[in-house]
Amino acid sequence: MNYVEPSSITELMNYVTTVEDYRCLAGGATLVAMMNVGLVEPELLISLHKLDELKGMRIDQNVIRIGAMTTHTAITDEDRLTGNASLVRSAAGQIAHSAVRNMGTIGGAISHADPSADFPAALTAANATIEVLGPSGRRVIQIDDFFVNYLETSLTEKEIVMAIMVPLSPADAIGHHLKFSRVDGDYATVSVSLALAMEGRICSYARIAVGSVAAVPLRLKEADDILIGSNLEESEIARASELLLKSSDPIDDVRGSSSYRKFLIPRLIRQAVLQSKKELSYT
Amino acid sequence: MMETISLTINNEVHTVLIETRQTLLSVLRDKLFLCGTKNGCNHGVCGACNVLVDGKAMRACLLLAITLQEREITTIEGLSENGELSLLQKAFASHQAFQCGFCTSGMLISATALLDHDSTPSISKIRHELGGNICRCTGYVQIIDAVKSVCEGKTDCT
Repeated sequence: MNYVEPSSITELMNYVTTVEDYRCLAGGATLVAMMNVGLVEPELLISLHKLDELKGMRIDQNVIRIGAMTTHTAITDEDRLTGNASLVRSAAGQIAHSAVRNMGTIGGAISHADPSADFPAALTAANATIEVLGPSGRRVIQIDDFFVNYLETSLTEKEIVMAIMVPLSPADAIGHHLKFSRVDGDYATVSVSLALAMEGRICSYARIAVGSVAAVPLRLKEADDILIGSNLEESEIARASELLLKSSDPIDDVRGSSSYRKFLIPRLIRQAVLQSKKELSYT
Repeated sequence: MMETISLTINNEVHTVLIETRQTLLSVLRDKLFLCGTKNGCNHGVCGACNVLVDGKAMRACLLLAITLQEREITTIEGLSENGELSLLQKAFASHQAFQCGFCTSGMLISATALLDHDSTPSISKIRHELGGNICRCTGYVQIIDAVKSVCEGKTDCT
């Protein structure tokens, strides 16, 4: 295996366009694990760690741009992730353990597109957009169009994730990533990501995504619409949950059976909504 | 492909011929014979291979050595100074915080990173931060007690 560390985007694109069998290395938390067991053996490994454009976070017109190489730890510690974007911070802090969060990156995590991971559902609920770069230039992909199937994204073969853009607004929203897992630090059996805002007793904004219950994060506009404009009473939460439950298609695996996951979905949604509602009523 | 790289480990520069795909864990154990860092699961789950990179705990099995040429690496062998064990190491000994000892170096690295960041963590924070290190002898209670004793300055070491 050959190894390169390009220090400019031009250099990166040169490798990407001239080599057929390559992989880009971000934090390594998943890719190196796959290499260790022989699942992936690229001819060329392109490390992204010297590309400054992929690093750091900055706010531009009420949207925070998170560079693809930003670690989960840096996101967990970032206090500019407020309002709607606080959801992303909540999810980052629940990924695996410190030693993995210090290495793993948001760009790597979403490129892997594991529906049981925390960022796919959290970024879906946070209404993020993904900036990608390929030989034909840059484009922006809406998060709802980014995840296509298990471990599959809408990135074309030569494209890489540059940054994740997360709107800070609604500024009065709070975000929660509620995760049910077998032990602390494991992948979710089911997770619920939620951004919610209220005006008085009326819900003014809601966006829910459920993770680990389908090939991609599960989100339904119809479910959000039931909550928006309501008082978030038990019956309304139950109706929204029912819609999401009907659209779910969880698998059986070591983290739980399909039926157990379906059992969890409405319970976690209820807990996430009620917890957020309670918090908002104190602010 | 083979390549010669320089790694700074425990304040010492090592020049070593490695395979480009070789992990830090493999270089530490198989090339430099720093065998205190253990190979447990080799896919980032057990924590036995934890090392410090620029002061932060990371999994040596998930780091490619070739990516670390400008970083400062600390392994279990680097926690003692001039042959004197660190306070945490002494506390682990006095609390008998191990049985087979396989998880110990990873536990000590995690605990060192934790106390560098927060010198007075709560019990629940200690438990949470050590949650990424698996002990199969179920020695967790003594391990947590050992870390706690250092925070409280109550290490009874000889």
